Amino acid sequence: MIKSFASEYIFRRAYSVLQCTRFSTASQPITEPKLQSFRSEENDPLKHTLDHVGQFYRIPEEEKNIFLYGGLPKSFEIQAKTFNETCLMIRRPSVDVINCLKLIDYTKPTVRFVIFGKKGSGKSLCLAHILHYAHKARYLIVHVPWVGNWMRRCKEISSSETREGYIDLNIDAAAWLVHFKSQNEHLLNNPEFQISQDYVWSKRETTPKGSPLSELVDHGVNRLKYASECVVGLAEEIKHLSRSGHCKTLVAIDGFNAFFYPHTRVFKEKKEVVPPNKVTLTEAFLSLTKFDWNNAAIVTTVDEIAIAEQDHKSHLPRYLLRKEGFEHMDPFIPIFVDNYSPKEFTSCMDYYRERKWVRYYPQQNEELALLSVNNPYNLMHLCASL
Amino acid sequence: MAAIRTFVKNCQIINRNCAVLSPHVQKHGMSQYPSYYIEPVHKKEIQEDLIKSGEIQKLAHLPTKAARNDQSSSFRQDDLVNLFINYVMRNGEKVLARGLVEKAFENIKRIQLEKYHKCDDVEKKAKIELAPRVIFHQAVENCKPILALTPIKRGGVRYQVPVPITPKRSQFLSMKWLIEAAKEKDATMRFHYQLALELIDAANNKGRVVKRKQDLHKQCEANRAYAHYRWS
Repeated sequence: MIKSFASEYIFRRAYSVLQCTRFSTASQPITEPKLQSFRSEENDPLKHTLDHVGQFYRIPEEEKNIFLYGGLPKSFEIQAKTFNETCLMIRRPSVDVINCLKLIDYTKPTVRFVIFGKKGSGKSLCLAHILHYAHKARYLIVHVPWVGNWMRRCKEISSSETREGYIDLNIDAAAWLVHFKSQNEHLLNNPEFQISQDYVWSKRETTPKGSPLSELVDHGVNRLKYASECVVGLAEEIKHLSRSGHCKTLVAIDGFNAFFYPHTRVFKEKKEVVPPNKVTLTEAFLSLTKFDWNNAAIVTTVDEIAIAEQDHKSHLPRYLLRKEGFEHMDPFIPIFVDNYSPKEFTSCMDYYRERKWVRYYPQQNEELALLSVNNPYNLMHLCASL
Repeated sequence: MAAIRTFVKNCQIINRNCAVLSPHVQKHGMSQYPSYYIEPVHKKEIQEDLIKSGEIQKLAHLPTKAARNDQSSSFRQDDLVNLFINYVMRNGEKVLARGLVEKAFENIKRIQLEKYHKCDDVEKKAKIELAPRVIFHQAVENCKPILALTPIKRGGVRYQVPVPITPKRSQFLSMKWLIEAAKEKDATMRFHYQLALELIDAANNKGRVVKRKQDLHKQCEANRAYAHYRWS
């Protein structure tokens, strides 16, 4: 009795296994990839034009080092690891900015760009593309991966010794100096990069005029206590070097509006909130984003996620930068990062399929476009379980 | 349910005049629909079949229940996965349960893709399964037991008697074991990651859940002498 039941059962099971392997990817013949219109052959951001919009280009392994200490969003890094390559989509806003950077007259005061857009529309990756361009074009890169990390979740605080009422974020400042050093390794060895004035840290420690710029950076990394002051000093030195024509500078700051949002999560000992203008690091980067110097360009992004959740009301620069920020940045060139256009959407889905991240089913693109409202981040999430 | 029924019965006794409504309430318990409402057909393939065979004419004018919120005509919808989500769910937290299963599928894809990229051999590469849904189906299939043990009392002694189980019961056991195995983990490990590992293992006919099934079968084999207690 049991035996006959079992045999019947095994038969039924074999049948249902056959049924469920209909969608299987295994044991299918690997077909040669056809002409891949979603992949650009041009991996050099210097040569990207509007013709390449919507295509993916690959960041070579050795150039990925500029993002070693941040610069790519975490969710994107996980994707890049799974896909076994780092590919960025060439999109209109970043190409526009790159074209502008090529055409700017660098003898005039700095030009400032503000990248804005809704949550998850690709502002940070747009900035990453511009950074890659700047690295290729041998700019001196002053890049802040995410200001929110300082204002919303700082590691350690201490009150400043040189400035009355100011707060130092020692570990964060030192970490940023390491980031700056690793991004500009090839430029810092330049013997022309010298300090223009004496820096006296304490009775015994001074950095004399004429010593190389990297010494200032190293001092901040080694002596945590002076890291924030070093950043302020470094900002002034970079401005001086650019003015004197030793280097072209690109200042890229992600989540710039966090510098103007009053309710930070930096607390003093008595749980008093420290406004961002009382943080020493703010001083340095606000000075870098002024237009009183030349031979440089400034690209910033404003993002809702850099401020507290109850104030995620609008993605527009005037709201996010508030009055003082807007006046500080004025005049600037606004760059709007939109959701995917139909062409970019198809290209992205093709890329996902080529990387074997999603499996095709009929009307997949239409369905996902509606569900994700063409938003890149939403699309990534929806495709995760397919 | 029982409480409601008795309550309704009591109501009936009290006001016999409004006996019109009560039979309906009694028959369907908590259902919002009267008994003559039919179930919706939400799958596109089935709808097309109905149109072809002309049976759609019969259904067209019958009052139909609205589709439930987990029923859709999308191709990404899978009945077995929906059932599994319901089994994972605790305290009615369906959004959480769905998120966990979806994350488990994501992890399956990441793990399998990593294997795929590491593998150099073209033939081996083609054999690596990347579709999470197929892996899930395969895993559930591989963990289904055929027999189970039931305690039966004969002569004052309880015997563990092997009995065949229905396909539905075996599917339930298989899914339940997968979930239990995923819950047995280190405190630092996430449920969805462990579930992904268990599903991949089970799909390859390895792992704890398949072992559990085999152990049960062995026990049934050992207790075959008691099999006749089922009917005598």
